[in-house]
Amino acid sequence: MMTEDLTNIKVDKSVDARGTSCPGPLLAAKKAIGEIENGQVMEVLSADEGTRRDIPKWCTKKGYEYLGTLEEAGYYKIFLRK
Amino acid sequence: MANKKLTLALFSGSVDKLTAAGVILGGAAAEDMDVDIFVLLQAAFAFKKENALTNDRVAELTDNKDEFLASLKRLDTPHWTQAFRTAKEMTNVNIHICGFAGKVWNGYKLDDFIDLADDICGIGEYISSAETADVNLFI
Repeated sequence: MMTEDLTNIKVDKSVDARGTSCPGPLLAAKKAIGEIENGQVMEVLSADEGTRRDIPKWCTKKGYEYLGTLEEAGYYKIFLRK
Repeated sequence: MANKKLTLALFSGSVDKLTAAGVILGGAAAEDMDVDIFVLLQAAFAFKKENALTNDRVAELTDNKDEFLASLKRLDTPHWTQAFRTAKEMTNVNIHICGFAGKVWNGYKLDDFIDLADDICGIGEYISSAETADVNLFI
């Protein structure tokens, strides 16, 4: 998915894990994924460098669709579809 | 499909290594792995009720202990007991205290240890579990 698409994507659930270090954002994502329906989109906000690689790998293993990452000022917005 | 399994022979009773174990448990929990933790000698000290929250020993880079512990606070890192608890809440984690290790620290009953511990067992149980593990670690 192109970056332009991500900036306009409809997000069903936003998880702000910027206050935590690895594995905090991943665990926050795991907790939150149970609260959305299949097909819905979740964004994970993380200031942890490792998360931007962990979430795509986690999506592959768990069967979720990793949509892409936007780099914001001091943190990442990581998008996935359940 | 059956969950993958992580077995952890947890020997260290030092907060640096216990914190690292907690991070790894978080990763395992995120992936719904089944986890069997075997609490061996020094780790059994850290699991004693009277020690778990007061023990601040570190095993590595001991001359930087103050910086390390301050950094854990600065980064708002959960105490290792909390990281273990979170993993238990999120996936199937069983924590076994080695019977011999318990006795070394005068811990004879499950009640002598923090409530994260599920049972006291012998080493045969570790070997049996590790034989079928996808990931097996010693910390």
